[in-house]
Amino acid sequence: MSERTTARGVPVDGGLPGWRRAVGGGAFALFWGWLVVRWIHDWFIVPNPAGDRTPFVPVGPFDAANEVLLSLADSLGVLGVPFDWLAGVFAFAAGAIPSLPALAQGAWLTVVLTVVSIALGFVLAVPLSVARVYGGLGLRWVALSFTELIRGTPLLAQLFVLYYGTNLTVFIRNVPGVGMGMVPDQAVWVAIIGFTINSAAYQAEYIRSALTSVHSGQLTAARAIGLGKVEGIRYVVLPQALRYAIPGWSNELIYLIKYSSLATFITVGELFNQTESIANDTYRYTELFVTAGLFYLALVLSASLVMNSVEDWTAIPGIGQSGER
Amino acid sequence: MSDLLRVDDVHKSYGDEEVLKGISFEMDRGDVDVLVGPSGSGKSTMLRCINRLTEIDSGEIYLDGENVTTPDTDVNALRRNVGMVFQDFNLFAHLTARKNVTLGLRKVKGLDKAEAREIADAQLERVGLLAQAESYPAELSGGQKQRVGIARALAMDPKLLLFDEPTSALDPELVGEVVEVMADLASEGMTMLVVSHEMGFVRSAATDMFVLDDGKIVERGAPTDLFENPEHERTKSFLQGLNSAHGGDG
Ligand SMILES: Nc1ncnc2c1ncn2[C@@H]1O[C@H](COP(=O)(O)OP(=O)(O)OP(=O)(O)O)[C@@H](O)[C@H]1O
Ligand SMILES: [Mg+2]
Repeated sequence: MSERTTARGVPVDGGLPGWRRAVGGGAFALFWGWLVVRWIHDWFIVPNPAGDRTPFVPVGPFDAANEVLLSLADSLGVLGVPFDWLAGVFAFAAGAIPSLPALAQGAWLTVVLTVVSIALGFVLAVPLSVARVYGGLGLRWVALSFTELIRGTPLLAQLFVLYYGTNLTVFIRNVPGVGMGMVPDQAVWVAIIGFTINSAAYQAEYIRSALTSVHSGQLTAARAIGLGKVEGIRYVVLPQALRYAIPGWSNELIYLIKYSSLATFITVGELFNQTESIANDTYRYTELFVTAGLFYLALVLSASLVMNSVEDWTAIPGIGQSGER
Repeated sequence: MSDLLRVDDVHKSYGDEEVLKGISFEMDRGDVDVLVGPSGSGKSTMLRCINRLTEIDSGEIYLDGENVTTPDTDVNALRRNVGMVFQDFNLFAHLTARKNVTLGLRKVKGLDKAEAREIADAQLERVGLLAQAESYPAELSGGQKQRVGIARALAMDPKLLLFDEPTSALDPELVGEVVEVMADLASEGMTMLVVSHEMGFVRSAATDMFVLDDGKIVERGAPTDLFENPEHERTKSFLQGLNSAHGGDG
């Protein structure tokens, strides 16, 4: 296999063998294709927020297949065991399919919570980490206190304090437009604020350690050509540090996808919340939580895939991947 | 006052340790002065005081007649006029050779992209590296990195260039290409203050040589004079050590 390189000539490993890449890519396309079509269908084509949503795939054939296989298994005696199993798969599908539209809606909120919070958190994390490393005593102290407070207390406690313990909820509810049409309700906004603050602290920690791994001579050289300290950090240190931070930062993104399920405790109808409420109604706990698990897995794998590409796009010879400076 | 640089009774301490104990010297435009001295004698500290990467405790430094050690001196403006070349190159690791040179032109001097690129390419050509303009530092040899470092400093059009042991991190076979560039600059009239034990450069290009020992300039003079009849026993043994260590090559 010929060596692949990025745009800037950094060699990357060959990646997965062909057939696995094909299977993975197919599953990826199927999941996201279905999800996006589902969202568009449920918001614009057949908007029906309150009522039941019909799955794209009818349950009937799966039920029928289940029955046929079960009777086949019965008639075969001991030899029928594999058919018994196969019947179980169809029964599982028949049990899970009716919940898919609701899970798709939940997945939308999970994606929104994660993407918006990680992005806003990043915007806060950069100045926080710079303050930690380059700030004066006062700034350093403020940034350190913030990150330690946030990283040292449970995320759920932070969400509860924001949701129940402050006026934030009421304040947001009274903002015109909140909870109407496509605009999510106050609980979603509170969750975004909570996750943003929390993720900012963790991201700041990853970026802080990346900042300290940039050789101090880099800033000295920037100062020596007449750049101010802030400019030197912005144009010379940060572009390198952020590249070093990508692997740790990707972890934080993956954690956040899963931690976003805590929003269920402040009534946000995200993926976990949808799963649990349907499971409680239907008693189909196995089908629901296994399906939800597959959703989270697909989201996490997608995030890894995206971050790997980001790492490749931004790779520069001598920085990052090879780990050598 | 016609001196380009005048250093007047500069003192600098780190904690209890006085590193510079009253240094005074001056340089004319076009001078190429070389600072030598044993390790820890304060050579790097002296250079860094001139562009104020290090703050002095007392004394004054004048550039072009202007006191640049006052509290309200614009240090960034000072550094536009005083370029620096480092022992370990310190090229911006995430930028190509060309972008290393244009960064200061763009962000410090505020030139537009085309102007900056034109100047950068001219300077890269001057150090013989125009063909490597698109290479990243990790793709360059030590000698090439240092030549980019010189181009980066030159591009700001400084009045004075400081070199802190520009060849001592290089493999011996790469020293020549950097010394050659420096000698060219010297002959073009660039004012340079160089910390170097590279005797080939000293003999061919230096106007004056300063011997720094224990925070003081113990001897100063034309290299040939110092080599042939040093006043101090200390200078003599130090220079002899250098000459033999470097094979006395010219
Ligand atoms: N930032 C600093 N903090 C504390 N001490 C320092 C600092 N920089 C330099 N020193 C001390 O000052 C003294 C002079 O250092 P300097 O780097 O100027 O010497 P030098 O002549 O350049 O030596 P070398 O040939 O090894 O580069 C040394 O004892 C060094 O330990
Ligand atoms: Mg030194």
